[in-house]
Amino acid sequence: MLVSWKYRQRKSIIQWVDPRAWLTFYGCFLMSTLAFWDIRFLLFFFTIALLVLFNSGVSWRESRRAFLFIIGFIFFFAILTFLTGRGGSEVYEVEHVIREYKAPFSILGWVPTLKITVERAFYAVSQFVRVGSIAIMTILIPYSLNPALYGITFKGLGLSDKFAYAMDLTMRFIPTFARDFQLTVDAQRARGYELEKLSGGIVEQVRKMGPIFVPVTIHAIIGSEDIIDAMDLRAFGVAPRTWIDVLERHTRDRILIAFGVIILLTSIALGIMGYGDFWVPDVLVKLFL
Amino acid sequence: MPLVDNNKNIMISSSPLVVENLSFRYRDRRGAAIHDISFEANPGEILLIAGASGCGKTTLVRSINGLIPRSYKGEMSGRVLVFGEETTSWKLSQISQKIGTVLQDPERQILGTKVLNEVAFGLENLTVPREEILERVDESLAFLNISHLRERETFTLSGGEKQKVALAGVLAMRPSVLLLDEPLASLDPASAQDTLDTVRFLADQGMTVLMVEHRVEDVLRINPERVMFMSEGQIRYLGELSGLSKVVNYREVKLPAEDIIERAKQDPAPATLSILPGAADRSHETLVKFEDVAFGYESGLDVLHGINLEIKRGDVIAVLGPNGAGKTTFVKHAIGLLKPKAGRVLVDGRDTKEASVAQIASTLGYVFQSPSHMLFAPTVHDELAFGPKNLHHPSEKIEQEVKESLTIVNLSDKEQDPPLALSFGQQKRVSIAAILAMQSRILVMDEPTAGQDYQNYMNFMNSIVQMPSFDAILFITHDVDLAVIYANRVLMVNDGRLVADGKPHEVLHDFEQLKANRLVPTSLLDINLKRYAETGRFMRAEALAHFQSL
Repeated sequence: MLVSWKYRQRKSIIQWVDPRAWLTFYGCFLMSTLAFWDIRFLLFFFTIALLVLFNSGVSWRESRRAFLFIIGFIFFFAILTFLTGRGGSEVYEVEHVIREYKAPFSILGWVPTLKITVERAFYAVSQFVRVGSIAIMTILIPYSLNPALYGITFKGLGLSDKFAYAMDLTMRFIPTFARDFQLTVDAQRARGYELEKLSGGIVEQVRKMGPIFVPVTIHAIIGSEDIIDAMDLRAFGVAPRTWIDVLERHTRDRILIAFGVIILLTSIALGIMGYGDFWVPDVLVKLFL
Repeated sequence: MPLVDNNKNIMISSSPLVVENLSFRYRDRRGAAIHDISFEANPGEILLIAGASGCGKTTLVRSINGLIPRSYKGEMSGRVLVFGEETTSWKLSQISQKIGTVLQDPERQILGTKVLNEVAFGLENLTVPREEILERVDESLAFLNISHLRERETFTLSGGEKQKVALAGVLAMRPSVLLLDEPLASLDPASAQDTLDTVRFLADQGMTVLMVEHRVEDVLRINPERVMFMSEGQIRYLGELSGLSKVVNYREVKLPAEDIIERAKQDPAPATLSILPGAADRSHETLVKFEDVAFGYESGLDVLHGINLEIKRGDVIAVLGPNGAGKTTFVKHAIGLLKPKAGRVLVDGRDTKEASVAQIASTLGYVFQSPSHMLFAPTVHDELAFGPKNLHHPSEKIEQEVKESLTIVNLSDKEQDPPLALSFGQQKRVSIAAILAMQSRILVMDEPTAGQDYQNYMNFMNSIVQMPSFDAILFITHDVDLAVIYANRVLMVNDGRLVADGKPHEVLHDFEQLKANRLVPTSLLDINLKRYAETGRFMRAEALAHFQSL
């Protein structure tokens, strides 16, 4: 059985507007944020994301796991890019070294070196702010949109009945998968299986994960077949659907959509005009010339 | 009375449902799942379909509701006629408007996020106007007395509520024929009785009801007009209720205790069960101890409150209680899968907070409710060897453990089969055998008999309680008779609290308490209570048939 995200009614901007309006705004926000590497612009989006977060009514207790996971994930990749310099080299060409640490050994003539540069440091911060803005806005969606309205929301965004309902099911598949995964882990732990003590190389470790992956996958497949049978048995897809939930647009929804579109168009225009590329303060560059 | 309705050329009539010479073989299987099935179902009739696991009941249901051959491919012959029209060329949507199906597990049927959306789903698909949908939804909910659930999220419902919501979704489409595939399998006795009363009422209103069910004794209470008994894909008996007990082996189908006693008198007395022979001559020491245990999930809802309990050597404990009472949460604490929010749980004197689940598993084996969450190996043999290997048993011992466990669950012939290709009932038995093979001293089973046919579960329960390796057994069940026959101690859990703990006759004689905990006295419990002064203990019906007071 499909389970839903931990949605509940809250007093927040997200729930004050029509879900279609919010998703439209979210789409504009997402594309606009991705258009920039300049931290000055990115801070604008980060501020919006924080305002939405603090207004969302989603408590730290209920969203802790999701945020810790995503913060850890972003932090890991930001640090990795900072240490290796990979990724950032696409948006900057010259690096200004702050410190350089060389290993006291060499590997086949190559001396491992850690370079701390102004560009790498700023790139890591920009990356953190950029991805963080998007992550905050994304995490809030399942906590704030009523699962009963997923289908009609996507239908209202122009998808066909079948795709809209498929999106509805897909949105609920993620928490369902997480539940099934946990049940399988519990069932195998009760048979003496210790996930945390897997040994061997990567291939061997993946092979030893079979007791988890196989039941989870099979369960997902069987679950999908059950869903198809249940839908077929109640005549899904034979005619245009009536949707019993009704969404109404208000002035506030139009204002929000207009705001999102303006942000997007402005972002595109700024991009065309050459603004928004990776930026490092001149003062720092001069300092380490 | 003929055992089988041999009229193979039933006249096409306006009967809601006629099945003519129906046979089906699944594409990837050798033999036919059903063979030459013919019968007619009448308006206002409840036709109970019984038989062992794998006898073809579910295949028959799928053939009638159109999933066969549309979703399940294979070779099909014969015809299904609904109101005189053959359904072969019908779309599934056409069939679903005439024939409503409630699947065995409501969890597999419910799609909607909220009850309102779930009940409306079929009508939405048929483009019924919105106002009419809302009217019909409210009508269905009111009919089943669940209007108060209208705005609830479906995944928060109890098992009984889910079953009713699934039924409401089908009834809203106003079918003429209702197919119910083991509707009682996951329900507590009181919810099962509610469901049965509803089914009787629907039939009395003129609906044709086909009900596949293992819990035959429960269904007999609503006087089904006819009973079909299937075996190996064929009808072995089709006729009135009164004839069933004469043609069916009382070991195959669970009949009322009076009938079993009557029939069993003619057979030799059953062997006396030697319960936990390995624990009989040892001290009554404490194996598991719950000290003021409380638990709640992150959502803030408390599930367990102040549980104090000791599981001692020699205990065979049945845990009874309504759906959603906290029974599974309670036993998950014993193996350390859940840690108490307050209080502590000690297994062999060791706090579960200080031991890993794997460490506890060598002492306490836990059989999960659903086998599909654990089966993964290419063969049944490998599946059973997995646990003992994790516990570092010697390889020669593992082979012996695997063989013994397979014998107990009657699956020795399936040792090299892939477990995922077995039927649900067989998978469940593999999951039990997988834990038996670990040779833990304490066995905990969560609804071990759900979805199993009577003969199979009685056989493996007989074997399990007589295994010398166990010091204690605990099982969660909705089947009161299982507690009557096998338990020497009964726990009753309700609303996260331990509301009763004692010997079976002490706990189960209080019918008011049973009712408060959504349990329903069975004929076997009745007879045992009546004869308790004479027997001094609870006994199975076969044993009662041969009991003679000194």
